[in-house]
Amino acid sequence: MVEKGFVCSLTGVRVQNFYDEGKINVLTEIQLWAIFNGTIVTLEIAIVAIIFGAIFGVVVALGRLSKNKVANALSWFYIWFFRGTPLLLQLFIIYYAIPIIYLDATGITFEINPMICAFVAFSLNATAYLAEIIRAAIESIDGGQMEAAKALGMSYRQAMTKIIIPQTYKRLVAPLGNELIMLLKDTSLVSTIALFDLLRTTKTMASATGSWIYYIYAAAIYLFLTTIIQVVFDMMEKKLGIYER
Amino acid sequence: MSMVKLVNVRKSFGDLEVLKGVNLEVQQGEVVCIIGASGSGKSTMLRCLNQLERISDGEIYIEDELSDKRANNKDLMKIDAAKVQSLCTDLGMVFQNFNLFPHLTVIDNVTIAPLIVKKTDKKIAETRALDLLSMVGLSQKKDEYPSRLSGGQQQRVAIARALAMDPKIMMFDEPTSALDPELVGEVLATMRQLAEKGMTMLIVTHEIGFAREVADRVIFMDAGVICEEGTPEEVLLNPKEERTKSFLNKIL
Repeated sequence: MVEKGFVCSLTGVRVQNFYDEGKINVLTEIQLWAIFNGTIVTLEIAIVAIIFGAIFGVVVALGRLSKNKVANALSWFYIWFFRGTPLLLQLFIIYYAIPIIYLDATGITFEINPMICAFVAFSLNATAYLAEIIRAAIESIDGGQMEAAKALGMSYRQAMTKIIIPQTYKRLVAPLGNELIMLLKDTSLVSTIALFDLLRTTKTMASATGSWIYYIYAAAIYLFLTTIIQVVFDMMEKKLGIYER
Repeated sequence: MSMVKLVNVRKSFGDLEVLKGVNLEVQQGEVVCIIGASGSGKSTMLRCLNQLERISDGEIYIEDELSDKRANNKDLMKIDAAKVQSLCTDLGMVFQNFNLFPHLTVIDNVTIAPLIVKKTDKKIAETRALDLLSMVGLSQKKDEYPSRLSGGQQQRVAIARALAMDPKIMMFDEPTSALDPELVGEVLATMRQLAEKGMTMLIVTHEIGFAREVADRVIFMDAGVICEEGTPEEVLLNPKEERTKSFLNKIL
């Protein structure tokens, strides 16, 4: 509802005002809030996805490394599907296809919250990528570490949680930062499922007013956010690598 | 008391048979040095004992209790996993490449296994760790990370780490082979100290001088079997077997 009112305010009376007053480039308070809200949507999706992606990514990665054939096959299939199809398609399946399938199956319609859809789709997708990153990081730890842990009587689980996985943290920081930056930019895909993220908000303003400056604002905000990510992840990498001299 | 016993142990990696029927019994307090060319199965034998590798055929006893019995790669006994684990923790192991945990400080390296495997009280584990570290001469390094230690120091920490689990038998897999020559002495001194305290030890080594000095028994392995065994004088000074003679000629 809020979004509809907001679109009207951009395309209707306001446009008139901008041209009349001749100050296309200065943001009004409403626009400022709209951009702020769009940025929040963008951030929310990226952060939710990276958190769930990291948690489930560990599970899927351990599945890939497992000697259990079922766990191995399931993880392989998961990664194969979510890495092998476009994120946009996954978003469409969850937002458009699932309600229709549900309707066909049960005859009941249901409202699906686009934000929840975005959380789910981005998390599922990030899980696939992070699982591969985590698997590679675990495999990069010297085999002698697992042997030493086992020789000391640790179980596989203890060795993994106390010895192997903690050693992957430093190696995971850089690819994790990379993935977060990718996610942040990819959130612009949610404009296709009726969400106003940063890019869609600014694009709407740009088409409504005919000014290109909004794209610059968008670029500046994306750069600001990715810079923060880059700096924070650089710091984390240094801190986590303290034991490597 | 027999600490470890191998009965006709065979081990294959695919088509490659590394152990071709090894029989060995080690008594309590005995120091056994195992020599032989690389690929002769020395390390594999140690790794089979604590089940880092599973044998293909034969029986293994630890303190007179069966820990593994197999034929044609089939587990014949299905021994309870907890039982196997407790038997194997009686075997401490020191590796050629130290394999210290790089993300943990020296003291944490020593305490982690008692803490999570034996659920030892943290204070007790730390006191014990400090004792062990001072025994190997490294108590002042307790808060350093392994990357800041020399190879010799790392190996001594690794010995302390293995001892923290109160093993009844210590196995050393070429403990000085990855060390610079000037650092070998400090590790051998630590091992000598252990031997003097009566620890049962199985040592795979190329340090013939050390073997002669500390070993009660020397075993020469070749092509997956024990080729010759006896006192250091018998095996190292007056070998009977041609293969032992030619090996000793090559390395001395």
